[in-house]
Amino acid sequence: MLRDYFKKMRGVTKSPPAVNLSEIMWSWIGAFLGITIVALVSYKVLEGKGLTMIIGSFGASAVLIYGAIKSPLAQPRNLLGGHIFSAVIGVTSYQLFNPHIWLAAAVAVSTSIALMHATKTLHPPGGATALIAVIGGESVYKLGYLYAIIPTAVGASIMLIVALLVNNIPRSRRYPEFWL
Amino acid sequence: MDEMKEKKDLPLNIEISDDDIYEAMKNIPGYLDITPADLKEIYKFAYRHALQRITQSVKAHDIMTKRVFSVEKDTLLKEVAELMAKEKISGIPVLEEDGNVTGVISEKDFLSSMGSEDKTHFMAFIAECLQGEGCAAFPVSLQKAEDIMTSPAIIVREDATVFEISNIFFLKNINRVPVTDREGKLLGIVSRADIVRASMLTGKPLS
Repeated sequence: MLRDYFKKMRGVTKSPPAVNLSEIMWSWIGAFLGITIVALVSYKVLEGKGLTMIIGSFGASAVLIYGAIKSPLAQPRNLLGGHIFSAVIGVTSYQLFNPHIWLAAAVAVSTSIALMHATKTLHPPGGATALIAVIGGESVYKLGYLYAIIPTAVGASIMLIVALLVNNIPRSRRYPEFWL
Repeated sequence: MDEMKEKKDLPLNIEISDDDIYEAMKNIPGYLDITPADLKEIYKFAYRHALQRITQSVKAHDIMTKRVFSVEKDTLLKEVAELMAKEKISGIPVLEEDGNVTGVISEKDFLSSMGSEDKTHFMAFIAECLQGEGCAAFPVSLQKAEDIMTSPAIIVREDATVFEISNIFFLKNINRVPVTDREGKLLGIVSRADIVRASMLTGKPLS
């Protein structure tokens, strides 16, 4: 019994094959453009207005929607649904459990995973979006539920548009696999 | 003839390998968000599902040979043998007067009735002839179909699935089975070759 238990830790298979150079290049281009736009809007347009268009979880989304574009986790439904649901859960959790930040953080992440699962919108960066709503400091707290729209929904939408435009340029790529 | 002396396990252990999957993944550009092991698992389920769907949905009447020869219970064995030789068939259904299938005669039935001992293998029969004991089977020539036929006949209805028929072939170790309607009237015959043809997923060989 115990031996079987530890045996499972050895793994059963090898890692998937590496991608080719073109895949690496197009991942880079997509991520560069996607992050460029949300960062430009954030730092050149919204700076000083108490708003932002970029959150840390977008870096993780970029990995998926520009680097692993076939993944179910990277599809538009997951990108938008995962971020928006998680943002709402994060804000709610902060408002309910503040000042017990540790509890708000744990509830935010775990509940957003559950909700993403239940709605078929699992998107790993969503967990970060929920967490940022709780640990993001004053600038995030004062947005309230606006956080779910700006930066979350609008930022994710911008990244999605870039993904649609860039990922469909090379013949070897297509995006998305599905919408709904 | 009868090559299935020892019943082997069905070749389910001839399965797709991790390398097959890995190589297949390399054919698809872009990062696949799945491990080769998971993909293999999915493949196996999908394959089993397809096989089940096909073997359950294809019925005896889809694959049977409809132009089927038969003999009567009282047909002389001489004539039975002639007919089988002429039409190059290795087994033939035997009918009652009312047309119902009552038995089947195969090469095996001839062999075992002609040898002194239990000779169901053609080479055993040849061996006996060559040992100079004479291929002395010839009381048989006056016998009738009903004397040597395997009876009661193992038969299937026209809506039997390929899956069921394959099972019968395997379990009973037979090579053909007559297909009848509800009343027992002969409609056709399904042989192992028909099953092989139906098992090729495309319906025709991969060229």
